[in-house]
Amino acid sequence: MGALSKISDIVDQNSTIRFLKDVASRYALNTIAYFAVGVVGQNETDPYLAVTYPPEWVEHYKKRQYVDVDPVVRLGFRRMLPLDWDEFGKPTGRLKTFFGEAGEFGIGRRGLTVPVHGRCGDRALFSVTSDLSARDWASAKLLYMRDFQVLAMHIHDRVLCIEGQASEPASLSPRELECLQWIAEGKTAWECAVILCLSQHTVRCYLESARHKLHATSNTHAVSIAHRAGLLFGPL
Amino acid sequence: MIFAIESADQDKYPELFDEMFRMRAEVFSGRLGWDVKVENGREIDRFDAEDPLYLLSLDERSGQLRGAVRLLPTTGPNMLRDVFSVLMPGGTVGSPLIWESSRFAVNPQIFEARDRAEANHMVSKTTVELLYGMVEVAQRAGIEHIVSVFDARMARIFRSIDCRFEQLGTPVRIGKVMTYAGLFDIGADMRSRLGAAGDLRSSVLADGAIAPASVTALVANVE
Repeated sequence: MGALSKISDIVDQNSTIRFLKDVASRYALNTIAYFAVGVVGQNETDPYLAVTYPPEWVEHYKKRQYVDVDPVVRLGFRRMLPLDWDEFGKPTGRLKTFFGEAGEFGIGRRGLTVPVHGRCGDRALFSVTSDLSARDWASAKLLYMRDFQVLAMHIHDRVLCIEGQASEPASLSPRELECLQWIAEGKTAWECAVILCLSQHTVRCYLESARHKLHATSNTHAVSIAHRAGLLFGPL
Repeated sequence: MIFAIESADQDKYPELFDEMFRMRAEVFSGRLGWDVKVENGREIDRFDAEDPLYLLSLDERSGQLRGAVRLLPTTGPNMLRDVFSVLMPGGTVGSPLIWESSRFAVNPQIFEARDRAEANHMVSKTTVELLYGMVEVAQRAGIEHIVSVFDARMARIFRSIDCRFEQLGTPVRIGKVMTYAGLFDIGADMRSRLGAAGDLRSSVLADGAIAPASVTALVANVE
């Protein structure tokens, strides 16, 4: 997930869009859209939006009031599971026109939307589209779901931060710190498990949680952030 | 058969959800004596308002509700972080790739009308099926870990069906109940162990994640 290393480039809406464009090209996607509600200073009718769509499509979408039709917006915010647009079935009526026109503006035929559940009840949607064949889509989907659930959360936290919602200072649990401390000493997850008398799976869970809390892209990244924040002891 | 139903879709199956909330009242307040709020015979808490995913185990033929469990992402409001943080005083785990399961319940009605041996079999079958369904749904969504808060009774049940978990933090007595936080490895290993315990070889999920038509048919059968 190399794209994540540039997450700190996100400082405003334009840089968010640049970041999304970079992700789209790394994953060979047609488009990416990030869409949040419940962000400070925003309300339901005026959500936070950062998209790689052509501006003409955004204009057209607004003019036609497609927000009333768009099934992603209608269903996504209350979802827990990632939403594969194939679930919508074959579109008819106004929905058919909507997807037809979206295609003309370069939005992919296939889409995946990852819902973000933030810590204070804030929500966001992260949608990607692609023109992959059904077969390639099926095999790419699991990777997309893993990577984009993590990525979407990091983008969301960044947006909350730049919109002035103070994020809680990173605080790790003793177990998360212990695992990270041993990773910093060059131990593998397996070695951490032996040293701490935990299963490897549990060590991986603590490291996953630590990466999330530190907004880190990898264990190494997490170690360096934790070190800078003075959370670890000893030389790096 | 397991039906995975998004909270937003519960209006499509009002009878089924009503039955689930009544079952939860009977199990958690009635049988287990937990300190849960029951209104009009239904146990509904604030986390039901956080758009969880519900897994419902329904009898293939009669459509009877056999059991249910609730899943929430650990990035948003969840029980471990917001209610049982005492179990992990240093801070709870949280990530988009970690879910929390709660309100795991087997319907007491499925063992009332049966003899003891058959009742035990049904309880264990439903338990394994719900767990297996949880693993399947999580794997499909790219989720790697599930945490849960449960009591000593549930811990024994998990051990008896070889559903391994690692204890997080230290168990705490809350009210009458010894309470544990556990982490479940939901990889291929867990799936095959549960498969062996419940004699399950193929998917327990009804036709993908959600099959509204079949649920409607099943619900219609109940009436």
